[in-house]
Amino acid sequence: MITAERKPLEELIEYVKPYKRILLLGCNECVTVCAAGGRKEVGLLASGLQMALLKSGISIDIRQHTLERQCDPEYVEEIVSMIAGVDAVVSMACGCGVQQLAMRYKDKPIFPAVNTKFMGASERQGVWAERCQGCGNCLLGETGGICPIARCAKQLMNGPCGGSAGGHCEISEDVDCAWQLIWDRLKALGKEESFVEITPAKDWRSGGGSGPRKIIREDLAE
Amino acid sequence: MSFQKKLSTKEFAVLAEMHTPKGVNIARLVNDARRIKGRVDAIVVPDMDNGIVRMSALAGGVLMRQEGIETIMHMYCRDKNRLALQGDAMAAHVLGISNIVVTHSEDMSQSDHREAKTVDDIDEFELLSALRSLSSGKDMEGFELDGIPSFTAGCTLAPWDDEKMLAKELEFARKKVEAGASFIITPPVFDVAAFDGFLDKAKGLGVPIIPTVFLLKSLAIAQYIANSEPGANISDDLIRRIRKSPDRELEGTKIAGETIAALKGKAQGVKVQTLGWEHKLPEIFDVAGV
Repeated sequence: MITAERKPLEELIEYVKPYKRILLLGCNECVTVCAAGGRKEVGLLASGLQMALLKSGISIDIRQHTLERQCDPEYVEEIVSMIAGVDAVVSMACGCGVQQLAMRYKDKPIFPAVNTKFMGASERQGVWAERCQGCGNCLLGETGGICPIARCAKQLMNGPCGGSAGGHCEISEDVDCAWQLIWDRLKALGKEESFVEITPAKDWRSGGGSGPRKIIREDLAE
Repeated sequence: MSFQKKLSTKEFAVLAEMHTPKGVNIARLVNDARRIKGRVDAIVVPDMDNGIVRMSALAGGVLMRQEGIETIMHMYCRDKNRLALQGDAMAAHVLGISNIVVTHSEDMSQSDHREAKTVDDIDEFELLSALRSLSSGKDMEGFELDGIPSFTAGCTLAPWDDEKMLAKELEFARKKVEAGASFIITPPVFDVAAFDGFLDKAKGLGVPIIPTVFLLKSLAIAQYIANSEPGANISDDLIRRIRKSPDRELEGTKIAGETIAALKGKAQGVKVQTLGWEHKLPEIFDVAGV
């Protein structure tokens, strides 16, 4: 999923204080799962903002709503009348949702309420870790299901580097060395020979090296 | 007189562009430079900003210095992060290169190493600011330097097709001047009268403007630029002149030389761009009278 963290309240207050009526818009997808911008967080932020603004003597009508998916034009279309009734929108979706709103409602100021972080997985309750950087040419089949692009600090294709010690990355004892994990996994699978093969320099074109990417499915595109 | 001095005293500066080799054979570069020594104020050495892997501009610039010729080195942001760029800038100063043009770079997709990862850690504005910061004795993080370099930093303007694009370019240029650019190199000029109009608009930037004079090597190149870059103002008359000439290469040389001569007294100098035909520079300068 796409992970996110809510922005500091002070930053959001700066965004909204020039307006009289705002819509706080959540998303039911990834940001709900990572507890950053779902229905519950919309409610919490609305209360927090209201209290902080009142302390500064500012009164704003904060309306709340949560869409099924903000990155989908079909759902974004549902809120035409809601948008018409407010001066600005604060989106609690990831950057994709914010941009979808900005593209559809061109004359309405749209502000992000969260910082979109990474594509990750849940390690345990309340902990998410980066697992994928969307490089567009998945090599997990060769690396034992562990991604060196997302999980090696140097994005080495032929690791580990000299900074790997005791299974940890040199940047922090809290970070596993991705190449140690890859080695352990390949060994467990009896595929050590994959490890010794030199992987050539990566083609980064599919990873955004040639600008913003797009997928066009001819069988589905209208 | 140094390039910087020419700028400050508003004298006409003649610059010639010379690319480093794709490889380590420096004979042509050095020979071409020797042939114009004394006729140019500085040689502009592009780096890999056009996306073609070649010997670095820093080495090319040092070679020019060894020949006793002042150098203006290109720097750009696509391939290096802020550490590498600052390191290169300080190295350039130590090796005798204090003139730097911060340029746009071709997208990696247009390079000869299309699979490479783009860096773009900072942009042109930030690089100009970084050079200014280094010149004041501090790096981008504010840490003090042991020995302070000095730079004369300039910037480039991208080609424009119409007035709207030009207005945008001038706005970018204004920001670059604010960030530290003390001169501006323009895209190639083929119509000096049209350039007058541009100069009026660019006057407010308050820094010397140095137009590029481009050697038209063939009719095909002239036609290509005329069709693909309307802002270049290659007129039908110019195309006709090249087409009718019994010696089109010579005609291109004459056109470049005449353009330089026509720009004297208007612009602060010229940068002559010959893209591989640097051996033609003496002839061009003969026509121009420089």
